Amino acid sequence: MKVAFVVQRYGLDISGGAELHCRWVTEHMQKYWDVEVLTTRASDYITWKDHYPKGNDTVNGVPVKRFSVAKPRHPEKFGRIQNHILTNEHREEDELKWLEEEGPMSPSLIRYIEEHTDDYDYFIFFSYRYFHSYWGINTVPQKSILVPTAEHDPVIYLQIFKDLFRKPQAYIYNSVEERKMINALSQNDHVLGEVVGVGTEVPEKVYPEEFRQKFDINGDYIIYIGRIDENKGCHELFDFFLRFKKETSSDLKLVLVGSNILKIPAHPDIRYLGFLSEEDKFSGLSGALVLIMPSFFESLSMVTLEAWALKKPVLANARCEVLKGQCLRSNAGLFYENYDEFREALSLLLASEKLRESLGQKGKAYFDQNYTWNVIEKKYLSIIEQLEKRK
Amino acid sequence: MNNQDKDKKAKSASEIKIDYDNIDVADIMTQIRAKIEAMPKRPPEKIPPQQDFAFPSIPPPDLPPETEGGRSKLKGILLKIMRPFAPLIKLLILPVHHELTETIKKLDLTNKKLDYWTEKFDRDLYLVNETLNARIEEVDRTINKRLDLAYDEIGRIKEYTKLLHSLSHNLVVELTKLKVEEEALKVKSRILEKDFEFLGKRERALEDQVFK
Repeated sequence: MKVAFVVQRYGLDISGGAELHCRWVTEHMQKYWDVEVLTTRASDYITWKDHYPKGNDTVNGVPVKRFSVAKPRHPEKFGRIQNHILTNEHREEDELKWLEEEGPMSPSLIRYIEEHTDDYDYFIFFSYRYFHSYWGINTVPQKSILVPTAEHDPVIYLQIFKDLFRKPQAYIYNSVEERKMINALSQNDHVLGEVVGVGTEVPEKVYPEEFRQKFDINGDYIIYIGRIDENKGCHELFDFFLRFKKETSSDLKLVLVGSNILKIPAHPDIRYLGFLSEEDKFSGLSGALVLIMPSFFESLSMVTLEAWALKKPVLANARCEVLKGQCLRSNAGLFYENYDEFREALSLLLASEKLRESLGQKGKAYFDQNYTWNVIEKKYLSIIEQLEKRK
Repeated sequence: MNNQDKDKKAKSASEIKIDYDNIDVADIMTQIRAKIEAMPKRPPEKIPPQQDFAFPSIPPPDLPPETEGGRSKLKGILLKIMRPFAPLIKLLILPVHHELTETIKKLDLTNKKLDYWTEKFDRDLYLVNETLNARIEEVDRTINKRLDLAYDEIGRIKEYTKLLHSLSHNLVVELTKLKVEEEALKVKSRILEKDFEFLGKRERALEDQVFK
């Protein structure tokens, strides 16, 4: 069985959600199938400029074919076109122009798929919204499997995607909410699909005390891990946290881990540690009382799964349907829609160690049941098996 | 963490009933929401948006209390007293009445004019707005088209510059190679010249030996 994984970028230094997801899945599935990655030469997701050398490459034992990007993205022009199609009546050709501008525009990749369709049994496309998925699925719909990694953002309502969502042979969703959203948009319930997500590996040993010493953190703390960005709800988190501190006189600290593109309030109890190694990240997470996830848009949230794998409860933004759904299904996290709920839920979590432990246990059980690599691999194999039976 | 905080937290936790053996997040959240609902409402921290301005209503002046029956009785008595003076009163108020009627007519005319002008102004404003919107859209389209062309042109020029750069680089490489080759050939020709000279000398020496 020869399977091609088609993704917008691929490399060890690429840490974007869908790209990392694709790399992990590919590396795990290479023991079952003859896998190959078809991708572009891009490394930067803003301009998609060619970075890696053209041709064949190998990443962690996985063969990779890289194709040139014919036209890098002009962020300003792209923003203008996107703004136009999201706020005005427009035609399909405008949407296709938007897609072309969004990129990464690599006609040679699509041509390769067209010319080598018979060389592969299946093509697994990652991220519905890019050039490679749209034209790739349109080129080989009969062999396509889509991992949409869709969030609830406005572009998903474009007409071109409604049509696209009816074409693949199967879907691998990240969450129940993602499946519901895509089903409702395109009425593609008849297409085979399963909620799979992605597995994660946590280190066997973590060192919370060493983490505290290394970063000079004393007392109780909650942790946020991810990009510190307005879209991720961090602005609201700072506001809520500072109000909580003022109202409760708590000595709780908020530890922030990740790249920063937002101004962080200068407060002694808000500690920004920057981008950390995996070891430090997991040690920090294991020492925290709660992982906080203030994001409005998530298609899965790997860090939430990592917290559950370490038996840590989660406090999530309920306005993100995926996070709320995950908390309800796992019974491993509380959530909030406004400040009052944030204050009460956080107070409850801080007050009761027993509650934190119980939620953490539930999280671990949920993780083991759904997100260990063994489970993920079986789900991928099962989908291909079902498609083979249909032939 | 001081004792008071701990007491508060413990109280907060005790208000929510949790079955730790069978945790139900939905139930906990329902209890949290019910608790928030039951709390006294606090004033919002931010100033609410200002409401539309309205003139304060003026309360009516305080009048002495009067009964309905007493009022009509008083009115009847006054009318009876005034009856002999009715023609005189009518004569006195005639100019005032006339002036009032004229004023009302003028006001009516002014109102009609105002209505007409307001309607005309609205209609004209709508037309101007429509025209302006159409112009803005047209200008927007033109600018977008020109920007697209400009971006394409910039892209083309960039590619062209890249090609020229690569061409000049190749030319420099080729010229350097040719220069090296020329030097090598010069050296070779000098060697050959020396060889030729040496062979000439040898030839002459051999001839000398032969004809000696």
